[in-house]
Amino acid sequence: MNLKNPYLPLILWLTTLLATLALAADPLQLTSFGAGPSSAAFRDFAAITTGDWQRYGQLFTGWQASLFPRLFLLVLVVPPALFLLHFLVIGAKEFDHASGRVLFFGLLVRIIHWLAAASFTVLAATGLMIIFGRHLGGGSLVMGARSVHLVAALVFTVTVIPMFLAWLRDMLPMPWDLAWFLVMGGYLSRKKKPVPAARFNAGQKLWFWLATVGGGVMAWSGYELFAFRAVTDQLRLMAILHNFLGAALVAFFIIHLYMSLFAVRGSLASMLNGYKCREEVEILHSRYRID
Amino acid sequence: MARVKFLCDVERCIDCNGCVVACKEGNQVPVGINRRRVVTINEGRPGEKSISVACMHCADAPCIAVCPVDAIYQRDDGIVLVNKKICIGCGYCFMACPFGAPQFPGDRVFGARGAMDKCTFCAGGPVKTFSEEERRLYGQNRIAEGKVPLCAAMCATKALMAGDADIIADIYRKRVFRRGSGAGAWGWDRAYRGK
Amino acid sequence: MTNSLNDIRHAKSMIFIGSNAAEAHPVAMQHILHAREVNNAPLIVVDPRFTKLAAKATDYVRIRPGTDAAFMMGLINVIIENGWQDKEFIRTRVAGFPEMAAVAKQYTPGAVEEITGIPAAETVRIAKLLADNRPTSLTWCMGGTQHHIGSSITRTFCILQLVLGNMGKSGGGTNIFRGHDNVQGATDMCVLSHSLPAYYGLKDGSWKHWCRVWDVDYEWIKSRFKAKKWMNSKGFTLSRWYEGVIQEDKIEQYTPIKALIQWGCGANSNSMFHKVRKAYDKLDLIVLIDPFPTMLAAAADKDNIYLLPSASQYETSGSVTSTSRQIQWRDKVVDPVHGSRDDYQIMEELVKRFGFADKFYKNIKKTPEDITLELGRGSLTIGYNGQTPERIKRQMANWHTFDIDTLQARGGPCDGEYFGLPWPCWTEKHPGTPILYDISKPVAKGGLPVRNRFGLEHTYSMSGRTENQLAAKGVANPGSQVMGGYPEFKDVVPGTNWKTDLSQKTIKVALSRGMAPFGNARARCVVWNFPDQVPIHREPLHSPRPDLIKKYPTYEDQPNQYRVFTRFKSEQNPELVKNYPYVLTTGRMVEHMGAGAETRSNKYLAELKPDMYAEINPRLANDLGIRDGEMVWIESPEGGRIKVRAKLTERVDNKTIFLPFHFAGFFMGTSLRENYPEGLVPYALGEPGNIVTNYGYDIITQIQATKDGLCRVNKA
Repeated sequence: MNLKNPYLPLILWLTTLLATLALAADPLQLTSFGAGPSSAAFRDFAAITTGDWQRYGQLFTGWQASLFPRLFLLVLVVPPALFLLHFLVIGAKEFDHASGRVLFFGLLVRIIHWLAAASFTVLAATGLMIIFGRHLGGGSLVMGARSVHLVAALVFTVTVIPMFLAWLRDMLPMPWDLAWFLVMGGYLSRKKKPVPAARFNAGQKLWFWLATVGGGVMAWSGYELFAFRAVTDQLRLMAILHNFLGAALVAFFIIHLYMSLFAVRGSLASMLNGYKCREEVEILHSRYRID
Repeated sequence: MARVKFLCDVERCIDCNGCVVACKEGNQVPVGINRRRVVTINEGRPGEKSISVACMHCADAPCIAVCPVDAIYQRDDGIVLVNKKICIGCGYCFMACPFGAPQFPGDRVFGARGAMDKCTFCAGGPVKTFSEEERRLYGQNRIAEGKVPLCAAMCATKALMAGDADIIADIYRKRVFRRGSGAGAWGWDRAYRGK
Repeated sequence: MTNSLNDIRHAKSMIFIGSNAAEAHPVAMQHILHAREVNNAPLIVVDPRFTKLAAKATDYVRIRPGTDAAFMMGLINVIIENGWQDKEFIRTRVAGFPEMAAVAKQYTPGAVEEITGIPAAETVRIAKLLADNRPTSLTWCMGGTQHHIGSSITRTFCILQLVLGNMGKSGGGTNIFRGHDNVQGATDMCVLSHSLPAYYGLKDGSWKHWCRVWDVDYEWIKSRFKAKKWMNSKGFTLSRWYEGVIQEDKIEQYTPIKALIQWGCGANSNSMFHKVRKAYDKLDLIVLIDPFPTMLAAAADKDNIYLLPSASQYETSGSVTSTSRQIQWRDKVVDPVHGSRDDYQIMEELVKRFGFADKFYKNIKKTPEDITLELGRGSLTIGYNGQTPERIKRQMANWHTFDIDTLQARGGPCDGEYFGLPWPCWTEKHPGTPILYDISKPVAKGGLPVRNRFGLEHTYSMSGRTENQLAAKGVANPGSQVMGGYPEFKDVVPGTNWKTDLSQKTIKVALSRGMAPFGNARARCVVWNFPDQVPIHREPLHSPRPDLIKKYPTYEDQPNQYRVFTRFKSEQNPELVKNYPYVLTTGRMVEHMGAGAETRSNKYLAELKPDMYAEINPRLANDLGIRDGEMVWIESPEGGRIKVRAKLTERVDNKTIFLPFHFAGFFMGTSLRENYPEGLVPYALGEPGNIVTNYGYDIITQIQATKDGLCRVNKA
């Protein structure tokens, strides 16, 4: 990594923030209070049995009981609704296939992408099965989903690493990404006006970072939740992290699905055969240098 | 209907682990699963105190609130039970529990957690009462036999009590009242120095 | 135990010294806590270790191991100095008080502080606490007895209670907690080498008495011995039997020991177990009878060893005697499993093969009821004759009619009886004696004076004073025809006394006169036939205080103590502490029982306490560079060494190492796992703590001194 990269401090800060959050759990520690009445001992007992329940346990319980299921419901309902509206009002972008083809994705990258995509899809689906398990009746079906979630997580964790390395260079934030956001990538208009983006636009970059770094955090927190060996307070924070990040990932996953399946015609095909039509590249990836 | 509760009198618990072993032997709980355990603070120092902890069968049980598959339920008498056929072993109930009660056997593929196991108040589970299946999945059903849970029945010093909440509260209130004056009373040592 | 566990509920104060009841006797704790909570009774715990009992105490006193006698004499001295003693009780029922007081005078609070480490003010405070809160229940256990002056220490406990006038009173007494439900029964049957059952001793008269009970010819019994003198001489003890094999100390017997039967005995409860193991190698024959393979099964690496699986308590029935002298009936729950047999069957097979079954089973047609009847008929000294199997079983069936506070049945078929018919239960109508030496009740209703056992008067060599040994005038149980002291009953049936009259007529005559068959005497503070007539402190054989050895030296060596030369003076080496600087003491943990063969074979108990460990104070551990959980070597002056985990805790002070003694299956760093019979390896294996316990035996009883040895500790 280029150490002169202006965004390095930001990345470092974000990583530290996440790590601090996760490790903030109090270590298992006895505090002495001397020979007092038994009521004075209860707080110390609680600290041993369940950590700092008042702070983390209550937080987790409250969020898990009401916030998380609603959040995921929101994620599953609102973006698709907005996209439906978008599709009806603005419609898909179509580009002239006669303008010629540009090789956009190499074979290896495509294989990696589809491995990651498949495992991610399974992860999202099984994850949602767990979250909405009560509507499936629980039991062996959802328990099975948990096992599949675990296997899929292993596949995803392995494939996300080459994906990260392959696209890292093109995914580094650039000044024009702000401009891309200002015009919302041009998706709010039917006009084919070039938007500022190189190989990947700012939205894709956001998705990339979330899927790779966020995916890594998901893998780590998921492992902690699987191993179940950490201090209880840490487990609680891991569960909270896993849920929030999971919601964000599912949201972006839906955006990604819409963009590739509906918003840009031929997008799916480009990831299958590797080619995009020249016009699409010129409009949507105007800063991409076609060799 | 009366509501049942546990109460552990910290002044009486002597950390003998009789409750733990009674529970495990009586319900044939696997090694490594602790439906009940004894926690000690300040071991070996003045102020050493022990308490026996298991599922407290909370009135507004956090485990029920967080269970994503509604495997945990509460009976009319307050006993909180888990349906092991519905439970998916996610572990959320453990994180929500203020008492560390839910336990998980690591008996699935890759050592993944199986269905949650916890104190049943010796009331079996949601299968046919006194059936072999109940015994295998949940242990004894002493409540249906009209008996108190094994742990409390075993407690040598009567520190751990289980049963109707009003009666237990009454016993404890009397104990506290009796202890309240004289030996161990707050301030007496300092104020009167035995005079 | 003079009173009962339940009677502690009436105590106004309690003192536990050398007892960790919370771990060793958890079931007794309900009564102790009841007294603390309901009577506001101070609970004083005197122990080298801040035990789990100390955690429940109102007052904890840390004492240097082996100095209990000094502390007790110090308390007695403070009590007498301040005039807090029960003067009337002493005048009427205690003998040798001035002689004892003269000795106690030397134990000033300052002197006690020097010996025990207990601050002088603390001794005075505890004495006042006991004086202000009478009656006191006093309890000791192995921590009081397993010293080379163990017999003296226990006497100081009794004398303290006499001085305070706490004997024969509800809520008072000396309450020695016994281990499992039949330790007292085993003691009463004198499964020991110095006495026939029921404390009859080994004199000719004793043999003849039991021969009459068994209905066997005395001459035949005599013919079974190599020579008559062996009938009357004490045998080897459990603590030193192995010397009869390895003979590192000279033995006084015509032959070394050749065969060993261990029947329900955990091998690793023997001190210096590494020497015991040497004996295994030399024996011709070893038989182990136990439900679980003990350390013996793993440690004896030789041929000609037989393991006979015996049934557990749930697979057999019979009478057992609890710590409160209560006899209860134990019912069989299931037939013996896994091919085991109950002890009666094993004994029967043995006796048949020895060829004297006809004599052995003369009175025994129905097992086990007839056994209880036979032993009861013979055990008149302790009044085992009133507890017939029918009465015991009737009590078992009417458990609910007994009161938890008084132990007496209110109404029902057992009306008026005390639970368990605590001995002495003089007749089949007697309710049992719940409190010994209690003269507030008639003898026929459970009252009892002090036994007249040591003559009518005695002239003390210490003072030249002559004292009547019988109780003072006016002091007797209500309804007694003699209001005052009286001697034991004899010649009611000519040629017999109360304890040898098998017709029990003597006992019945005594009771009909409102009197105790064994007389009404005084309790002695001076035991003129002991080396220390009045108990005094003597430094442990292996003392950490060489400066005190000169002032408080041990006894002379004993050339023939229970048939073996036993070192005292020659063993007390002031230089030893230089190489072995830490005091070693042993004890119990609640999860395991005795030598642990049974409890370590239970997966749940093994899960709770899987590892052998040594408790080390964090300060000492830091000085030695030992971290919590690290392995350390503990080495004894006798060459024993064990590798155990360090458990850092402030339970012990920074000069003391504590070891639980329940573990077995390792020997000086090597695992003996392979040596156990297949499928019977206990779940928890560990080094026996008794490998490093030191040389040292009580002067009277030869009990091993496991509580005050020396050791050194090194990081492994």
